[in-house]
Amino acid sequence: MKKTKDHFYSRVIGVDEVIVDLDNLNLTSTEKKELSDLAHLNLHTVIVDAVLSELSSADKKIFLELLARDEHEKIWQHLNEKVENIEDKITAAGEQVKKELRQDIKKTQELA
Amino acid sequence: MARKRQNKSHYHSLRQKWLRRHRIARKRFHEKHKEALDFLIEKFPAKEKLASGAVGLMMMSSLIPTSTVLGAISEKGQDAEAVAQVDRTSELNAELAAVLPGNVRPLNNDEEAKISEVLSRYFNMDVKADIDGLRLNRTYGVIGAEQHLIRFPGDNMNIHLDADDKNNRMIYSSGMAPGRGAWGYFTNSRSEFDDLAREREKWYIAVQTFAAPNYNGRLADYRDLFKFRKMIVVNTQTGQAVVTDIADSGPAIFTGKHLGGSPEVMYELGLANGPRKGPVLYFFVDDVNNEIPLGPIKPMGLPNVNEKN
Repeated sequence: MKKTKDHFYSRVIGVDEVIVDLDNLNLTSTEKKELSDLAHLNLHTVIVDAVLSELSSADKKIFLELLARDEHEKIWQHLNEKVENIEDKITAAGEQVKKELRQDIKKTQELA
Repeated sequence: MARKRQNKSHYHSLRQKWLRRHRIARKRFHEKHKEALDFLIEKFPAKEKLASGAVGLMMMSSLIPTSTVLGAISEKGQDAEAVAQVDRTSELNAELAAVLPGNVRPLNNDEEAKISEVLSRYFNMDVKADIDGLRLNRTYGVIGAEQHLIRFPGDNMNIHLDADDKNNRMIYSSGMAPGRGAWGYFTNSRSEFDDLAREREKWYIAVQTFAAPNYNGRLADYRDLFKFRKMIVVNTQTGQAVVTDIADSGPAIFTGKHLGGSPEVMYELGLANGPRKGPVLYFFVDDVNNEIPLGPIKPMGLPNVNEKN
């Protein structure tokens, strides 16, 4: 499986379990790659949404500039200063997405 | 063969579900964090730069195709390969060529049904020749270039385009139509102008509403159907496609053209040069939940499984 690009949240949440579930579907490598990318995209959307929802207008801009420069350590420093328990909030948002994606896979298997 | 079909089914089903999930999340994100997105657009006006990393994923708007966004997730160097593998323009063109007649003429019911099925499958949306029995005079015709439409009182070419489009000679030089579109202004004032109005004008088409079957007898029904109705327009020579909306009426029958496209639509269809016209398919998109963004779109769906197996 091709390695995916690291994001600032990769150290606390990823979609590894979803990828493992996809392995059980006997997909082609191209199909698995595409679904894996879609899983990452859904995760990314929800996590960035969760982060922005916790920040003030000015802090959002700082976060976005750091995100643009891929400065992971500075992102965490900024988030930890501005939001209480941000790591837990990111993890919770990500876990919820993962749960939904895994349920989708399970339902797909049951219907087949 | 059965196993292969089952795998296709798993893949297709999950892909549909996860694309839908993302469309909904993207729409919600856009509504919730408009200010942040505006900041990004202002700070990083080149969309290509945005698409190159994590901040590109942030955009998640119709400005960036999902294929590009997906590419930004993977490791550099592998992106182009991954995206190319899911862009199925050549397969789409082959399937359309098998159904389309040799000349540009109105399609019969059987041809329209087949093409609706092909477009629905490749673009992952519900594509139809008619909605509740209401339809246009044709679904296969020649598109010609239109001008920009005035969006609100006082709109002019100095404020109409964003930075990227101002540098696009074809889009800038098209100018603005002297009158308003079929539905009037897109918003009543500049202060009310928003993303929805911007996108509706940018990706508009003009269709021959007046030539629809029994148009005068069902005027109110047709007005409700046509107003900003989404249609997918596909260049049958190249497979380039755009999700558009109906915002004007025309062109006149005597012109020999059957619909018109905004400068941006013509550019994305690959019809911006030379005579600025060409053959296209134009079918309704039944987007009940308003989840499909306007703008260019790539055929990423499945080829005909029965033929492949």
